[in-house]
Amino acid sequence: MEDRRIGVYVCNCGTNIAKVVDCDAVSDFAKKLPGVAVARSYKYMCSNPGQEMIIQDIRELSLDRVVVAACSPRMHEPTFRKALQTAGINPYFLEMANIREQCSWVHDDARAATDKALALAHAAVRRVVHHEPLEKRFVDMCPATLVLGGGIAGLTAALELSDAGQPVFLVEKDDHLGGNLARVDLTAPYLDSARDMLADRIRRVLESPKIEVLLRSTLQSLSGFVGNFRAEIRVGADGARTVDVGSVLVATGFREFDARRIEHYGYGRLPNVVTSFELERMLREGRILTRGGRVPKYFAMIHCVGSRNPEYHGYCSRVCCMTALKYGHEIKSALPGAYVYDLYIDMHAFGKGCEDFYRRTAEMKTMFLMYAKGTTPEIVPSGPDDDCEMLIKVHEVLSGEEIEVPADLVVLMVGMEAREDAADVAHLVSISQDKDGWFIESHPKLDPVATTTEGVFIAGTCQAPKGIPGSVAQAEAAAARILGKISRGKIEVDAVFAEVDETRCSGCRMCNELCPYAAIEYDAATKRSRVISAVCKACGCCVAACPSGAIQGRHFTDRQIFSQIEGVLEWASSQG
Amino acid sequence: MAIRANPRLVEELEHYGAEDVAKCYHCGNCSAVCPFSREPFLFPRKSMRYLQMGLEEKLLGNLEPWLCYYCGECSEECPREAEPGETMMSMRRWLTSRYDFTGISKLFYRSWKAELAAILLVALLTGAGFLLFGFRWGGGHLGVYAGEGAFLTTGAVHVFDWILGCVLAAFLGINCARMWWFSIGKDRTLRIPPLAYLRQAFLLPVHFFTQKRYAECGKKRPWAIHLALMLSYTTMLVLIMFFLHAMHSERTVWAAHGFGYLATIGLLGTSIYALRGRIRKEETHYKHSHETDWIFLILLVFVAGTGILQNVLYRVFHLDVAANVVYVVHMMGVVPMLGLEVPFSKWAHLAYRPLAMYFSELQAEAIRERERAVAAAGAPLPA
Repeated sequence: MEDRRIGVYVCNCGTNIAKVVDCDAVSDFAKKLPGVAVARSYKYMCSNPGQEMIIQDIRELSLDRVVVAACSPRMHEPTFRKALQTAGINPYFLEMANIREQCSWVHDDARAATDKALALAHAAVRRVVHHEPLEKRFVDMCPATLVLGGGIAGLTAALELSDAGQPVFLVEKDDHLGGNLARVDLTAPYLDSARDMLADRIRRVLESPKIEVLLRSTLQSLSGFVGNFRAEIRVGADGARTVDVGSVLVATGFREFDARRIEHYGYGRLPNVVTSFELERMLREGRILTRGGRVPKYFAMIHCVGSRNPEYHGYCSRVCCMTALKYGHEIKSALPGAYVYDLYIDMHAFGKGCEDFYRRTAEMKTMFLMYAKGTTPEIVPSGPDDDCEMLIKVHEVLSGEEIEVPADLVVLMVGMEAREDAADVAHLVSISQDKDGWFIESHPKLDPVATTTEGVFIAGTCQAPKGIPGSVAQAEAAAARILGKISRGKIEVDAVFAEVDETRCSGCRMCNELCPYAAIEYDAATKRSRVISAVCKACGCCVAACPSGAIQGRHFTDRQIFSQIEGVLEWASSQG
Repeated sequence: MAIRANPRLVEELEHYGAEDVAKCYHCGNCSAVCPFSREPFLFPRKSMRYLQMGLEEKLLGNLEPWLCYYCGECSEECPREAEPGETMMSMRRWLTSRYDFTGISKLFYRSWKAELAAILLVALLTGAGFLLFGFRWGGGHLGVYAGEGAFLTTGAVHVFDWILGCVLAAFLGINCARMWWFSIGKDRTLRIPPLAYLRQAFLLPVHFFTQKRYAECGKKRPWAIHLALMLSYTTMLVLIMFFLHAMHSERTVWAAHGFGYLATIGLLGTSIYALRGRIRKEETHYKHSHETDWIFLILLVFVAGTGILQNVLYRVFHLDVAANVVYVVHMMGVVPMLGLEVPFSKWAHLAYRPLAMYFSELQAEAIRERERAVAAAGAPLPA
């Protein structure tokens, strides 16, 4: 152990760590540990001067192992690995002790938090001694992409990829392209025709020699790993295709909330209560009529149907407010004598041109009636003297009055929800869903179109409710990410993965069943299991499960983990 | 019981000048910035809301538009340019038309052509009547302006003035009673003890003569102009109703004429200032002009101008014939101005505004009393 030269670097993270943990005490303590050549405390280790300090120490003091006591390794492990590499030693000679998320951010007691930081630093020093040099590897990248979903996001991504000269397989469940946008008439806030937007994209997709469109098709299975996927696709009733692709883009869209679930709105029971998509259809056909064939005079849009209500969906569906305002414009231009009300909770008019659109809709004398979150307007039959089909009763918040308004057509602004087959898709392509069923991105802000599965991207409303500009931007971002991988030609595979010692493997196949990434193959001939290193995420399930102890995780060897645990325990026992 | 919203009311109020109310999104900046807005009358936002939603009954019993003097600060602060000040002005016009039981006011506000035609008709009838009187029944001569053998005898004109005054007072009185009914009488939840009416009655003359709430506005000039106009008008009214003999005498009676000249300067100065302001649109409260605003100001300038002209023609130039002709023309302005504008149009506010100050204080007292009663009933019993 004494032959190691370890550097320990304690980050103050401004005051994030230092305000609770005594960082100087941690570095003073580390200095005395066996094998530690240098220990320092610094304001921001991740800053350029912080990294320079490490690099200089490695070179001048001939350090061969580095411990950084700072934030979570998810945050800055790549940063410090790079520093090690720059200094000329193997990047895996690094170990991080998380004294921010695990100490200063979660504890109030400065003394106890400092004690815990000392224990974690000790454990990291004990562990890093056993780190082994690991090398990254590269595999080939297949340039074809599988795009799931022929809506505006899928079409856009397919065009971006094919325009760059790369082949695309566009899989659409329906018998036509266009997705949900094909059901829309005009679009907010500029009142452009959705049909015009789509028609051009669909024509270009169909004409592109690089895009193969598979209608009435669904993905059956996906195997392999980034750069080397194999997809089984069912085409039509009984056709099948197998394609090799390097990347997968999931753009499967949303489905609308089922308005029947909110019973007292009477959708399905009251003839003139319709959903926003039904009104879209009327607008596209140019025939806006009540069920009785009368031209309606009073239109009421009820916002947040299924959205922003903990009983249904707590989230905002983002597009319904502007869509409802759009109806105001379309209705008043089709029927100049009509009256339009918007029964809303809050007006969400974010986005380019939307606040202005809201203002213009107000100027057209649309009546905005605010109802309280947690309440719902009530639809009741009209009286014999009324010139309307129904009355809507609502406690109007801005006036504080109980009011009723006449209505001929009630339009329920149904929100977006995850598709019924979202869970199947997620399972097929190994991505996760959040509590509402939306696919989870790699990072909500910094990596919005990648997923935790390398090579699988998401775009459009399958990720979360959003409008056309957001969907298109995501599709283009995903295409750019895919093209980036294609242009590099090779895929870098992390050096951390599990390995099977074939001499000790009994062929029980327990690991094959357990692996969440389908990264373990079973060779029937040799009766041994083998890890596909490019697919392995180093989660460690197989390592823990193997009854023969035949599997070891690189960078997570028993020796490394046990010495880390011993580090904590030794420190604790030294404290009595 | 739910109140029925009427989407047509916004359209109706457009005729009264409320063109921008639909833009309001209820941020409440207007009520926050208004120097007059205070509990329990937080305006103009809530009035804007009643109008947007077409809560006609609420609006009809709402005194808040009369509590507003239109200093314009709300319109200047409004982030949506919904012109709350002008909307309140429009609601005053609409309320005037609703207080009026004859429907004439509604006709005038909705059609300036009808108002103009009515003014011309009354003017012509007045002219014809005075000419007939002068030539046929009065026994005077066109060459005599005042004293023995005057074309229009003071006594006859005085009687005519009082008859006209009584008719106007009757119309206005009925409308004021309707205003009381809509705002206080109809509301069964308000209990106002008769003594309160007496106790607060002093508010009527106070607000009429000082317009002190207007003085609370950050800008003092509009208040000063308005006060000068009102005092000049009142002075002239008093002179004509009680001192017509002195005004119309052969000699200059400075005790009466001095006030007359002051009032004329006040009337002409302020109305020309207002006209110029409405043309230039520099001050917020002059930015929007309804047709009735123009008619009112033009009539005022006309009446004040012909009034001083007859005086000058007689007393300075001793031109009796010209003075008599201008006198008849003057009456052709006075009668429609008082007869039509006071009960049915813009000038009705001389009664409605002080009344609203008075009624609103009664309302406020009753509301406070009601809240106290509710609080007392809801309070836990002593152990």
